[in-house]
Amino acid sequence: MSAVSATKAKPPPVVQVRDMDFCYGTSKALFDINLEVKYHRVTALIGPSGCGKSTLLRCINRMNDRVPSARVTKGEVLVKGKNIHDADVDLTQLRKQVGMVFQKSNPFPKSIYENVAYGLRIHGEKNKNLLDDAVERSLRHAALWDELKDRLSANALALSGGQQQRLCIARAIATLPDVLLMDEPCSALDPISTLKIEELMSQLAREYTIVIVTHNMQQAVRISDFTAFLHLGKLVEFSPTEELFTNPREKLTEAYLRGTFS
Amino acid sequence: MNPLPTAENPFAGDNSGIQKRETIARWALRVGSYIVVIITVAIMLHIFVKGAPVAFQSKWPFVNTQFLTELPATLHVIEDKQGNHYETDVNGSDAIKKKLGDNFRAEKTISYSGGGILGPIVGTALLVIVSVGVALFLGVACAIYLSEYAKHGKFLEMVRLAILNLAGVPSVVFGLFGLGAFVLTAPVFVDVPADRSVFAIPLGFTTLSFEGWDTCVLSGGFTLAFVILPVIITASEQCLQAVPQGFRETSMALGATRWQTIRYSVLPFATPGILTSSILGIARAAGETAPIMFTAALAFKDKLPWQKDLPPLPADASIFAHWDQSVSRFLGIFTESVQALPYHIYTLAAKIPQNEYAERAQYGSVFVFLVLVASLAASSVLLRKRLRAKYRW
Repeated sequence: MSAVSATKAKPPPVVQVRDMDFCYGTSKALFDINLEVKYHRVTALIGPSGCGKSTLLRCINRMNDRVPSARVTKGEVLVKGKNIHDADVDLTQLRKQVGMVFQKSNPFPKSIYENVAYGLRIHGEKNKNLLDDAVERSLRHAALWDELKDRLSANALALSGGQQQRLCIARAIATLPDVLLMDEPCSALDPISTLKIEELMSQLAREYTIVIVTHNMQQAVRISDFTAFLHLGKLVEFSPTEELFTNPREKLTEAYLRGTFS
Repeated sequence: MNPLPTAENPFAGDNSGIQKRETIARWALRVGSYIVVIITVAIMLHIFVKGAPVAFQSKWPFVNTQFLTELPATLHVIEDKQGNHYETDVNGSDAIKKKLGDNFRAEKTISYSGGGILGPIVGTALLVIVSVGVALFLGVACAIYLSEYAKHGKFLEMVRLAILNLAGVPSVVFGLFGLGAFVLTAPVFVDVPADRSVFAIPLGFTTLSFEGWDTCVLSGGFTLAFVILPVIITASEQCLQAVPQGFRETSMALGATRWQTIRYSVLPFATPGILTSSILGIARAAGETAPIMFTAALAFKDKLPWQKDLPPLPADASIFAHWDQSVSRFLGIFTESVQALPYHIYTLAAKIPQNEYAERAQYGSVFVFLVLVASLAASSVLLRKRLRAKYRW
């Protein structure tokens, strides 16, 4: 696996956002965003509420398409070197390779097994052995296998909140995506569950590239390699996490980190 | 006048007016609810007291099997000189008259009031099957489109308004619509178009002729389907909307297409509600009289829909050896006109002059009908409970 990782690490950034403007109807939500996400790194998006960090995250797998009249009005988004708004991009394939975990853990009211296998099943995988392997691998990566291996057929809703969120992570990585988008995955969890998921993320970064939106600046410090600070739809600063938190270039970033505005 | 706040009671206040209004409001609401309950119970009791003795009997098997398994017939009542009454059907009347001899005083015939109500029960069942089948297919398809595919906006609002208005259309209007649309103009494949055909499209091997389906189960079922369609669409849409948006988002984020998302992570969780609403639709369809008056129902019919004067299939035959004929005979059931429970009740109730025999048949029918509807409602509740337990979130 490490050999694969080594070869994967060479190519250019897995996600490139170039000069992107984004609108909901007539109101502009994102202005001239430039962002590069490197393979096998954790990139955190921080900023005050309503700054557009979730919108930016959802641009990467085109989840914004679900919102009527929401669209990219300028610039482009490249994933693995391909402009994802090209006409020949199949949304189902894009989303298979760019997984997503939501703020609210939302396992389907089905068995644990079926939850993890969902992504593979809808992509037409019927081979039972392959599904079994994928479910085990995904649950192992999500650090759930040892807890759950004996009750894979139990209803996923019987799990605790933290387990449910890790199950959602397992479900998202079952299709082996290159990029894993996480939209405040810990904001509804207690501190211990949060800690578990943070530990998990550093392990996941070996296999996947993670982009995470977080409200919690300490969390960004703990888990991310790069941090982007957004304010009012503009990307104020984007640099290695340590640099951004210890020695911010922008006044605005400094003010936000000090907590002088929110 | 209450005292002002003091040291002992810092919360005292002059709120006597407020309390009075509170009491009045509570009692007005309570009385209203009690009136509803009392009226419902009164109706039920009335029907039970008058109808149960017809449907049940004191001897084994305690159910009046004749009433449930025979077709309606004309009732003959023969009176002797002592004032005794003998009830019989058309075949039994001569024997009784002969036996009474000089003692015979009079014979009355009361149409529809003898025999049982198997014909109406079967007719209503067939109508319900067709109407619920059609309404579920159209209604659920429409609800899925409105809820999952259609763009929100003026047009969608207009469609919703149209559906709501459809629910307000008087049922007799549906009956007339059914008469015009299904009985007189619906398309059929025929070799030679009838004279009344509105227009005919020759297709070479056959002709598509718009000459209607005639009064039959199919016409009535389709008409009833449109009566219950608004209920099913509205209820199904609400059930679909009640499925958390997160399920859709997650499914789409995993790369599912819209239809896959609906198929695997929306519909399974909306099904309990949709089924419940459709069973309530059954009760509605079973009870409507006006829509079937012109489209399917007869006041009287002495045969069940599958009792036709056709030569029996050859004796050697399994169903499969004469598949074509078997199928066409099965489908033939749906091209027959039938009796139906609500129309049967109407026929009996509209008889003038009323007498005890007609009244008895009438209350018996009403009672059986209510029991059927109540058991449908009960099964819908049970079904919903079971499915809810399986698919809760």
